[in-house]
Amino acid sequence: MLELSRRRFLIGVGLSGLVMAFPRLLAATPSSSEQDFHVRPIPSTGESVPAIGMGTWITFNVGGDQYLIDERTRVLETFLARNGTVIDCSPMYGSAADVIGAGLEKLGAHDRIFAATKIWTSDGSETREQAATSEQRWGIERFDLLQVHNLLAWQEHLATLKEMKAEGRVRYIGITTSHGRRHRELARIMETEPLDFVQLTYNVLDREAEERLLPLARERGIAVIANRPFQGGSLFRRFQSEPLPSWAREAGVGNWAEFFLKFIISHPAVTCAIPATTRVEHMQENMGAMYGQLPDTSQRRMMAEYVRQL
Amino acid sequence: MNGATWLSYSLQDFVMFGPEVFLRLFARINQDLWPWLLLWPLAGLVLPWFGRQAAELPRRLAMALAGLAWIGCGYLFLVRYYGPVNWPATGFGWAFVFQGLLLLLLKGRALPGPMAWPVVVSWWLAVFLLPWLSVLEMPDLWALALFGLAPGVTVASTVLLFAGQPLPLRWLLLVLPLAWSLFSAAIYWALGTFWLLGFPVATLVLLVVALRVNPSPAQNPGSQSVHPGPGRQSP
Repeated sequence: MLELSRRRFLIGVGLSGLVMAFPRLLAATPSSSEQDFHVRPIPSTGESVPAIGMGTWITFNVGGDQYLIDERTRVLETFLARNGTVIDCSPMYGSAADVIGAGLEKLGAHDRIFAATKIWTSDGSETREQAATSEQRWGIERFDLLQVHNLLAWQEHLATLKEMKAEGRVRYIGITTSHGRRHRELARIMETEPLDFVQLTYNVLDREAEERLLPLARERGIAVIANRPFQGGSLFRRFQSEPLPSWAREAGVGNWAEFFLKFIISHPAVTCAIPATTRVEHMQENMGAMYGQLPDTSQRRMMAEYVRQL
Repeated sequence: MNGATWLSYSLQDFVMFGPEVFLRLFARINQDLWPWLLLWPLAGLVLPWFGRQAAELPRRLAMALAGLAWIGCGYLFLVRYYGPVNWPATGFGWAFVFQGLLLLLLKGRALPGPMAWPVVVSWWLAVFLLPWLSVLEMPDLWALALFGLAPGVTVASTVLLFAGQPLPLRWLLLVLPLAWSLFSAAIYWALGTFWLLGFPVATLVLLVVALRVNPSPAQNPGSQSVHPGPGRQSP
């Protein structure tokens, strides 16, 4: 008769539990391609973030329209399901912060994101107040990243943000610009201020940042968020009807979204690109850029040349 | 920011929402107010009938209805629905409410004579044809831009009343419609909802029509603002 020792009993229970749970474990295990997504370290801490984030400019400003709030929640759900975490917003974007908050609440996903927003007020004394309002709208206790929007009253806001970081009220601080504006002033700030992040416009056509800002970011150990990766959608309007180059597969590119995004995130100074979309299928395509091979330096050059000649 | 930086911005850079969000505002407000929203086009239908009466009381009622239309459109459409996606709309909304209250306070004194037939016909054309512009952009009957709720139709039709006022009240009342027309035209252009440009265009056309029917007393010393001008006929 088999003697059932305490040890054997515990091993048996453990194994049977494993057998019972096996189908679920199998289903929950991501495929190898889903596991291997591109992440980038934040230079100031070494913490990694996924290389594709989510912008919310225009797309998440839907007011109180419950139908569209539900639609955007599905977009957010898809983003999270494909391992996205970095979500960027601004008080300037109307109701976008409320819509993000509603989506996070519905999905129970407050602790699964890297929350980034901006301080957008010309009153330099309103930094803390605006950050607190944004936290309330998102439904979170604190932001991972607070950025001064478009250099607006940046001296005052940045001083307060540094205090907030020292107090632990925010983990990272940064400053933003867009559309290639005020790069000279941004470079001066990057040279002198202790920034964790800088956000700027960088895409396959808007490449001015390559000259000074991206090398400076690497030199100073500043993470870079690339906004307007599709030039506000105009890259698709201009090039979507054109064929991808014959060598696209070799560069790890399967569609135009991947073409534009992989060009950006394959730059060694870029930490994260933040495309925005209103549609689940476009989010799937965008997140596809976080997987698979990235173009090398010579392929990046070919990509830029290809769109230039189209 | 310097002037060159400002000039580098396009109109689209200032619009923080998409066309779908804006067009759905018409459908949302109509669905939320159903069936009570039928009262607004009904008011638009009967207003000129009151406005054509020789007696003062119905003409006071006509101006009061116009005032209510401005308040309804300002508070409901602009402040409650449009404001959350486009913050300047909230400011315009409260200005609309203020103008509506002004019209209520002025009552019949602001409608100096019965409405002329060209004005009445223009009014009905505005109230019954312009609502379809939003349906041309979003093929859904719920998206009708109704008088008293949608600012484009409300502004275009009521400039017909404002143009008939004595100076300087006429121009005082026209400031907001003209500012709104300019603002909304810029938004429609940036959104690419070109059919909606019909609202500001209609506002200007109807204003010209109304000014021709009701010339300024200063330009026509023989006519008094409190009496029917050329082309105006009492019933």
